[in-house]
Amino acid sequence: MNAKRHVLVIDDDAVVGRSFDRVLSDKGYEVDTARNGEEGLKDMESQDYDVIFTDIKMPGMDGLEVAERIKARCPWTPVVVITGYGTEENEARAHVLGVNGFVRKPLTPEMIESVTLKALEKPAVELEAANEPEAPEVAAKEQLIGMKKASRVARNAGLFLAAPFIALGYVIALPAVGFYMFAKLGYEAYQKKRGSK
Amino acid sequence: MTTTTMNYSHQHGKPEKVYLHPVPVRLWHWLNALGFTLLILTGLQIRYVDLFSLMSFETAVKLHNWVGFGVIANWFLWFIYYLFSERVTNYHPDLDPVSFFQRYFRQAGYYSWGYFQGDQRPHKVQPNDKFNPMQKLTYQFVMFISAPVTFLTGLMMWDVRRFQGLIEMVGGLRVVNTVHVLMFILFVGFIITHIYMGFLGKKPSSHYKEMVTGYEEEH
Repeated sequence: MNAKRHVLVIDDDAVVGRSFDRVLSDKGYEVDTARNGEEGLKDMESQDYDVIFTDIKMPGMDGLEVAERIKARCPWTPVVVITGYGTEENEARAHVLGVNGFVRKPLTPEMIESVTLKALEKPAVELEAANEPEAPEVAAKEQLIGMKKASRVARNAGLFLAAPFIALGYVIALPAVGFYMFAKLGYEAYQKKRGSK
Repeated sequence: MTTTTMNYSHQHGKPEKVYLHPVPVRLWHWLNALGFTLLILTGLQIRYVDLFSLMSFETAVKLHNWVGFGVIANWFLWFIYYLFSERVTNYHPDLDPVSFFQRYFRQAGYYSWGYFQGDQRPHKVQPNDKFNPMQKLTYQFVMFISAPVTFLTGLMMWDVRRFQGLIEMVGGLRVVNTVHVLMFILFVGFIITHIYMGFLGKKPSSHYKEMVTGYEEEH
């Protein structure tokens, strides 16, 4: 149990990987970094990781796809999604994919440490339950899973039923937003042209 | 707990094709295509009885009514399937308008310019997030607003006496008829655009094949 825990950080921003390395290396973790999803998935072939962090917005494969692929290969590996802007939709998708956590930038050393510890707790609980668990623990776990599932179904249905109202709002706003976008583009082009003279 | 729709061939190390369109979705889609084609044809016959002679007026009305009920039933197939499916996330609204509109116009830029330059698609298609922002908003509007409004106005005109109170409440039969025709125009526009966009895959046939096999063609 004293073996080093291996952490993989997938983020196109090298600063994020370095931050994890700086914070976690001191605490006895081995931190690997990857600059994109493909690189991270390749790293997984040669190393078993105890927890994987992935940025949501990356060139090529996005973080949720990376998470989906990781879960397809190793469903037991905790995956935490790092995001600059958390949206309800991304969180809902992340839950559907079985992602274990969500952490928002900017990251502080305390956040990095606590989210790592939290992510590592989950598989430990699951493993305990799998290895000759006591009946009440199994029942409690099943109940918890059932509740989570019910809440996810309710949330999914709620968002589905809210879709027409939000869509109608967006459709009404669309011409105005489109006009603003075009005006902004024109203004930026004009400023650029003026600056180059 | 985990949805793993992306499968991998361990033998070859290559990702297998993504299963995008399950059977109920494909069934609903093609029944809808058939239904709407018949509704448009019979609707045109009913409205422009002097211009078209595809069938008798009486047959057109009967067929329009029966197919109309079929399309309504088909809408419920779509609604119930998605309501209880994990793929419901495809129709989930984007709750961050700034991000949504940015991605919406990035997609519009791709369709109007980037596609013809061979740029990469800005939206990565996944089973639980298969629509780009333009598709998502269009489908949400069509399925949640246009279709029910068309069904309701159609029902009101199908049995004017039964729905007399409702017709009066919304401003009379002329209003109901106008809304129904406006929705018809919108649907015709949607279908033409939909068919055109269907050709914008890697090959012109790619998206059409996907809607038959259910599996994403390579991009």
